[in-house]
Amino acid sequence: MVRCARCVPSLVSLSRGSPARPSAEQAVTTWPEAPYPVLVVDRHGGLVRVNEAARLLLPGAARGDRLHERVPSWLSQAHRRIGDGSCGPSAGTSAGRINDRFFEAHPTPAGEGDIVWWLVDDTDRRLAETALSDSRTRTDVLSESSSALLSTLNVPRCMEMAASMAAEHLAEAAVLVAPAQGRRHPVTSALKGGPVDRTTRKVNVAEVPGLSEALQGFPPVPARWINPADIPGWVVPEGFAGPVGSVIVTPLPGHGVPAGALILLRSSTEQAFTEGEEVFARLFAARAGAALSAARLYTEQASITATLMHELLPPTLRSVHGVEYAGGYRASRDHERVGGDFYDVHPGTGPAEETLVVLGDVAGKGLDAAVLTGKIRNTLHALLPLAEDHVRVLELLNGALLTSHHTRFATLVLASVRRRAHRVHLRLTSAGHMPPLIVRADGTVEEAATRGTLVGALPQVTAHTVRTVLAPGETCLLYTDGITEARGGPLGDELFGERRLRRALAECVGMPAEAVVERVQMLAAQWIGAGRHDDMALVAFNARRNGSLTVVNGDGDRGRDE
Amino acid sequence: MDHSIEPTALVRRLWRAVVDADEYAAADIVHTALAAGMDEEALLLEVIAPVQETVGVEWAADRISVAQEHAATAINERIVASLAHRRGGGPRPARRGRVTVSCVDGEWHAFPARLLAEVLSLRGWRVDYLGAQTPAPHMVAHLHLTDPDAILLSGSIPTHLPAAHAAITACQAIGVPVLVGGRAFGPGGRWARRLGADRWAADAREAAATLEAGVPRPAPSTARQAVDDLPHLADQEYTLVVQSRPRLVKQTLVELEDRFPGMREYGDEQRERTAEDLAHIVGFLATALYVDDPDLFTAFLLWTADILEARHVPAHSLVAALDVLADELHDFPRARRLTRLGTSALGERSPISVPGPGVRT
Amino acid sequence: MTITPPTEFTVVSRRERATLVVRVGGELDYDTSDELVDEVVRQLTAGQTPPAEVRLDFGALTWIDSSGLSALLMIHRRTSAFGATLRLDDRPEILERLLRVTNVLDHLTAPAAGPRHGGTERGEGVTESGAT
Repeated sequence: MVRCARCVPSLVSLSRGSPARPSAEQAVTTWPEAPYPVLVVDRHGGLVRVNEAARLLLPGAARGDRLHERVPSWLSQAHRRIGDGSCGPSAGTSAGRINDRFFEAHPTPAGEGDIVWWLVDDTDRRLAETALSDSRTRTDVLSESSSALLSTLNVPRCMEMAASMAAEHLAEAAVLVAPAQGRRHPVTSALKGGPVDRTTRKVNVAEVPGLSEALQGFPPVPARWINPADIPGWVVPEGFAGPVGSVIVTPLPGHGVPAGALILLRSSTEQAFTEGEEVFARLFAARAGAALSAARLYTEQASITATLMHELLPPTLRSVHGVEYAGGYRASRDHERVGGDFYDVHPGTGPAEETLVVLGDVAGKGLDAAVLTGKIRNTLHALLPLAEDHVRVLELLNGALLTSHHTRFATLVLASVRRRAHRVHLRLTSAGHMPPLIVRADGTVEEAATRGTLVGALPQVTAHTVRTVLAPGETCLLYTDGITEARGGPLGDELFGERRLRRALAECVGMPAEAVVERVQMLAAQWIGAGRHDDMALVAFNARRNGSLTVVNGDGDRGRDE
Repeated sequence: MDHSIEPTALVRRLWRAVVDADEYAAADIVHTALAAGMDEEALLLEVIAPVQETVGVEWAADRISVAQEHAATAINERIVASLAHRRGGGPRPARRGRVTVSCVDGEWHAFPARLLAEVLSLRGWRVDYLGAQTPAPHMVAHLHLTDPDAILLSGSIPTHLPAAHAAITACQAIGVPVLVGGRAFGPGGRWARRLGADRWAADAREAAATLEAGVPRPAPSTARQAVDDLPHLADQEYTLVVQSRPRLVKQTLVELEDRFPGMREYGDEQRERTAEDLAHIVGFLATALYVDDPDLFTAFLLWTADILEARHVPAHSLVAALDVLADELHDFPRARRLTRLGTSALGERSPISVPGPGVRT
Repeated sequence: MTITPPTEFTVVSRRERATLVVRVGGELDYDTSDELVDEVVRQLTAGQTPPAEVRLDFGALTWIDSSGLSALLMIHRRTSAFGATLRLDDRPEILERLLRVTNVLDHLTAPAAGPRHGGTERGEGVTESGAT
């Protein structure tokens, strides 16, 4: 914000300025008629002469009086300092209050050790300067509080800052009352230079004059001239000094809806709020209200999004019936948590039953794609009883997804998994997806020979299921093309590719499933560096080694299995 | 069964178990020690942490494979998780405030952050652990929603310092103080201060003590920019080197093949390894330009030389690469100076292998 | 000093009697696939007689992702509705591989059964108006 005096003319009354300092000769000859109060004082502090203007200022002052009995101490002390030599007679001016005006006192020597004191009324200039500096301070305060308040999108924190800044700059105490949540209002109160207190309480807003109007945002002006005696006890923060002297209640206007109300308090020993301060309070409230309502809007949006996304987030995988599953997911846009890739593990009802693993990819990105993944995951969940026949499941899923509105399709892999003794038996079916890779115990990496049609775009689909077995130490990996099509590398624009993926997997013999996932994710992330990437998802599973722990998921069977 | 709770002995036994990928034995050692009265924080910091450190050292010395390294880390992680599970995973009444623990964006080494989260949790903090690979926008959104007393950022690899700087600035801009730690921030945390972090802690205990002493909130709204902390960035050398990294790597590769015809015989994989090494060199060079500290670059070169020699690759290939790079960087005075300092540091280096840990496989 | 920008996406079409030829160059992905669909639909509806054959020439294609394939499926729906047969010419390995994995090549290039308006295109049927 630009600060300049011209911006604030209404608050500045023009100063008369201080007059040129009279010379010594003039002093001797012209002082009786001078328009300024003039006192001639001898070296012992006795009044020698008092001119007409000075008599008006100091009624009853006359020749022979002691100076210190007639004028405030700042002036008599200034005179004494000249008298005892600690300051020369031309030491400069002193300034202070006489009655309710400000004066600058200019000393000039007038022979025989007498001093002529010229008293120049400085009240108007001082008022103007104070007004100017107040308005500058206020502009600064407003701009600082705006940026401070806007820096947080956390509602309680924003209320704390608003209350504490209001107490700091506007009043001795500030109480911010937010709109009711249910039947309770969050109340944040702050004492000047003191702590901030946050509570949620049932309050009767009607008890505070102007508060219910302020909370409704109407009428949009602060209520002043509230009788302090009408203020209920809960409004006055603990530790507030003395009885309340004056109160302002002002609305915090939000973006179209009220963001709350601000109550400002001063004790009876302080000056009451002035009109200028009231305007200032309104300006401050406007900024605090805007910031608070932005924070509230953000929080509501974030919580809605979190609720909706919760269903779409990939699940945390764990060990099921002696098989260890691990999954990894990274959405294409780093500010999004969900995207077009998905995976699920549907545990078999018992160790003798197959567990169904699904991993897939919907064409497209972001929330649109994520919503479709939600539909696919739900449909597949409903089709679980038919999982013995992967092709049948895919046909039904295809039928459920077909629509004339778009050709957004999905590709996916189904894996039915069952452990028998130390081996894991698999049925794998690809529906237009990259076939699963299997890391054999000797370090070779096989591609499962399953092929099939993508789902959701064609009237008919076909697919071919393969069976295979994992020996101990062997791992099956399902992945989306976000991994193999990751662009980057040391030369900047190469695809990560299947060859590098297979090479990385060849080193993963005997590794726990989550270490395999972590290894591949890490290599892909390093490959990409800071570049753009598609959604990436992968699921790895293998036979749990003897002595594996299943502690993370809480089933607690940390013994040797089988 | 050995019931000793003497840390050194436990470290030796736990190392043996994790490197053999014997998760059951590893869990048994830890839980037995706990049952024998060992303090859980000491178990985390004086047994599990040193074992994890050994994993890194042994990998560097080429004494364990990548698979062993990952498996050992996975087991360590599960053991930490099992300890947390044993305490009861749910939110416990926090005696202290709420803090967020996260890795720097791009950082994969989550283990130190995980240990820190557990230690703080043991000491009564309510901890939100965001883990590795947390993009800055997620982190900031999390801070807005939870308004923690502080965020603790962990980083292991110095090339993530520019990202860390962005994160530090972003957190402070919304009024959350930032405490950083980890090897990425340099000896004594020298780069932590340069990046304007509110505090640096040498280890988990120091971090806990710092939090307990209280870290004041930074004045929000002070719109600070990278160049305010690091005025030398105005010369654009960092930006330009980062942008031209792929080109620099390509040209250096071509030039090296010209000078060393033997390199033309390299297979695809070997050529790619060389390209990756060059990309790392340029990455560290750029980061040294970012923090304006040649030590960051030379320390990396010396470490790389050790790693290469442990794998029987002569370290003088690094000098050749620096030589070519210096030619490619003729327009960048600060970068050229770094290559010169790097070359002389490699020249003065005594060819010893990676310092071995106390434990042998 | 900068990394080479990704290849610019281009679509150029020409009518050769009963055949519409559309040359597709560059990257057909999430950001560009709508452009291709729009262009083919515009060309299908531009003349008085729809083409009997639509040839997409992929000689200059450098990249295609699942959104690009989704666009091809949509184009196939449109051409089928007009009774036109779709041909995918000069396919680079990247496209070949995508078609192989997803198993849709036969579907996309099957001879058209003859003109049929409406049907599955309900609600988004191609109209003759607005042609350029």
